[in-house]
Amino acid sequence: MTRWLSVALAVLGIALAGCGSTQKKGATGGDTLRIPYLADMSVPDPDVFYDVEGNAVILNQYEGLLKYAPDSTKIVGSLARSWSVSPDRLTYTFRLRPDVRFHGGAPLTAQAVKRAFERRLDVDQAPAYMLKPIKSMSTPDRLTFVVKLKSPVNPFEAYMASSWGPKIIGPDAIVTHKGKDFGQTWLRTHGDGTGPYKLTAFDRGRQYTLTRNDEYWGQKANFKRVLIKITPDIGTQRLELQNGDLDAVLHSFPASELASLPSNLKVQRADSFLRLLLYVNTNKPPFDDPAVRAGLRSAFDVDELVRQAYSTTATKSVGAYPEAILPDQPELPYAADPAKASAAAAKAKTKKITFAYTSDESGVQRRAGELLQTRLKPAGFEVTLKEVQLPQVYGYLKNLKSAPDLLLMTNTPDAAHPDTWARILFSSTGGLNFLGYSDNALDKDLDAALDAPPAKATALYQQVGRRLIDSNSLFFLGDVKDVFVLNNDLTGVQHVPAYPWTVAYAPLKRVSG
Amino acid sequence: MLALLGRRVVALAAVLLGLTVIVFLLQVVIPSDPARAMVGASASPEAVAAKAAQLGYDKPLPERFANFLGRAATGDLQDSLRTRNPVADDLRTFAPATLELALAASVLAALLGVGLALALAAGGRLARVLRLMLVAGASVPGFLVALVAILVFYSGLHLLPASGRVTDTLVLPDGPTQLLLVDSLLAGDPGVFFSALGHLVLPAFTLALVPALAIARTLATSLERVMREDYVRTARSKGLRERAILVRHGLRNAAGPALTMGGLQFGLLLAGIVVVEQIFSWPGLGLYLNQSIAFSDFPAITGTTLLLGTAYVVVNFCVDVAQAAADPRIRTV
Repeated sequence: MTRWLSVALAVLGIALAGCGSTQKKGATGGDTLRIPYLADMSVPDPDVFYDVEGNAVILNQYEGLLKYAPDSTKIVGSLARSWSVSPDRLTYTFRLRPDVRFHGGAPLTAQAVKRAFERRLDVDQAPAYMLKPIKSMSTPDRLTFVVKLKSPVNPFEAYMASSWGPKIIGPDAIVTHKGKDFGQTWLRTHGDGTGPYKLTAFDRGRQYTLTRNDEYWGQKANFKRVLIKITPDIGTQRLELQNGDLDAVLHSFPASELASLPSNLKVQRADSFLRLLLYVNTNKPPFDDPAVRAGLRSAFDVDELVRQAYSTTATKSVGAYPEAILPDQPELPYAADPAKASAAAAKAKTKKITFAYTSDESGVQRRAGELLQTRLKPAGFEVTLKEVQLPQVYGYLKNLKSAPDLLLMTNTPDAAHPDTWARILFSSTGGLNFLGYSDNALDKDLDAALDAPPAKATALYQQVGRRLIDSNSLFFLGDVKDVFVLNNDLTGVQHVPAYPWTVAYAPLKRVSG
Repeated sequence: MLALLGRRVVALAAVLLGLTVIVFLLQVVIPSDPARAMVGASASPEAVAAKAAQLGYDKPLPERFANFLGRAATGDLQDSLRTRNPVADDLRTFAPATLELALAASVLAALLGVGLALALAAGGRLARVLRLMLVAGASVPGFLVALVAILVFYSGLHLLPASGRVTDTLVLPDGPTQLLLVDSLLAGDPGVFFSALGHLVLPAFTLALVPALAIARTLATSLERVMREDYVRTARSKGLRERAILVRHGLRNAAGPALTMGGLQFGLLLAGIVVVEQIFSWPGLGLYLNQSIAFSDFPAITGTTLLLGTAYVVVNFCVDVAQAAADPRIRTV
């Protein structure tokens, strides 16, 4: 028996030595960039994709007509070299760059842009809403694309620059592989953009490979290849980063571990528009009573909550909108006042409340939920905390009476424009208005703001924000930063606050020493 | 044998029907709006309604259930709400990785189990130490084993990889089985073979540990009983060597309970795959199921559940056949 055991151990040892020979040192280095994703992206099709995980695959592969400049909300040309707007704000004329080719080899033309816009409307998934205001499109010459709107739309340029805005997909997908579904089947595993990287492999569940586009019209990428590895466990990601098998973790790194990173890693924080929100169900007791809601906001110290839950990765929100997208916002009147909270809770028809929070890999929302739970208890509420998934949250509107009383989650606007935040979150029919708060006057103001002259629109958005704050139907708790943990030798991080969890891969480079 | 086969086919149908009913009931119990989740928050109510109609979510549950059964009978498991692919295609993509892992874990569990049982049956100080290890090992949850294994063999010793199925820069052979160990051998690609083997060690060991211990304990107990039987005493009196008696007579007659335990443990192994694939980033059905649950992707959840349920029933059928081969008395039952 001992002899057999010895033989088995020897074989195992030899096998391990053979298999593990590449594991002695981290795999990073050279011209390949390795980035992990916590989950598979839905699909790499810009007209269908409407999530956050996967943004980088879209934005490094496809380009729109406009984009945001790094670290700012300033809109600049991307595939459009320049653009102009008619005085009546109905006609947008985009003049295209002349030297751009799609990954499939076809040149960029106004006709290709028109075809891409039409495809988005044909596919008609969530991102199509940005093109619904279009009345007509024309191509007066090879490099001029003209859009006429049905009525002025203040955020139209922001739509064009949005992370989920229209991207110009090439003829490989739209013509050659159009099939019966406008190329959706082909685009689930392929791409035909104009960006600095091409999608050369899409192995669902394993990894996606982006390869440098050597024909790119702009600044060429430094890394020849980007491997995006599906690594669903943040603990494994952290160990692989530490061991040099990954170059960077671009989101969900545990905030509590940032202060004790090993010396081979560094952290970069960047402003983003991701916000921590507390939804209140105003459609059933106890929070159908405005006085109880007003007391609720006195139950917790937002500053302390954000600091304890997020450490240095978020700051207390200052307004109803992300600070950078609307000037002179009404301030949030949140101040802890336990006596006021208790007095309001005493009037509540029921003290038993259900508090849901959406799950996240870093566990920060659970921690924030637990902290809020501990603050609500002294006020007199009996809080049942539960974790929910996003599709469950979408289902709340079907029966608001059985929906939770409070819901904690993070959200981000589609672009750096107040309308892309308020319309989806505050309006009665907004897609992110999960607990169905409704205010007709607010809806009217919001509709009026859409085509109002810019100065008036700004005033209306401010007024909408004030109404929402006063309703206590939604609490704006924290502005969450994008946190990038990188190997020390990786530099060139370029980030746009309106593009969450995303960095441009092209400027990233490795420096020795 | 035909009767056994017939019983198993009926059992398979019953199990699959039961699983389908459970998953469908879950859709009712868990309030969600998959149509909105699929088209996105900004989609118009009309777009959401159109998607719900396209997916059949606007119909009553019994009608949806009947439609699903009708389609499933022809191999159509609907499209995944997350990946937008036909679920059957997704299962074809993810199943080989799980199959390879489950096979490796099963073989490892059997080898470890039999080896440990024989060591226990041999008695002595080693047996006492092993018995203690078995009790301790059986009480450690799989995820903890996985984490410790990663910390020791990946992070500490830099001996084995912590994630994935193969080194990320390798070009994978497009072989007939989609099992990397087999296809790399067929393609004569030792680089992929050893990389795949290295990536397999930790997840397979993690999955195999508890089944191996259960098999070892069952087999050891059974062996102790068998080794006291009259025919063993007769064999000893004829002068046969102890090892020959143990392997030729003892093991064969003691195999029944261990095989039953192995079949049962396979079910636990399949359940453990969800956790193990998540921790080791193993691109198999467990990872697919985990991501589908987070998206309330019920077509994908149902498809994966049915496939894993089928695997469980088929493996237990194989166990029955193996038991019948080991013990002829079973064939007449």
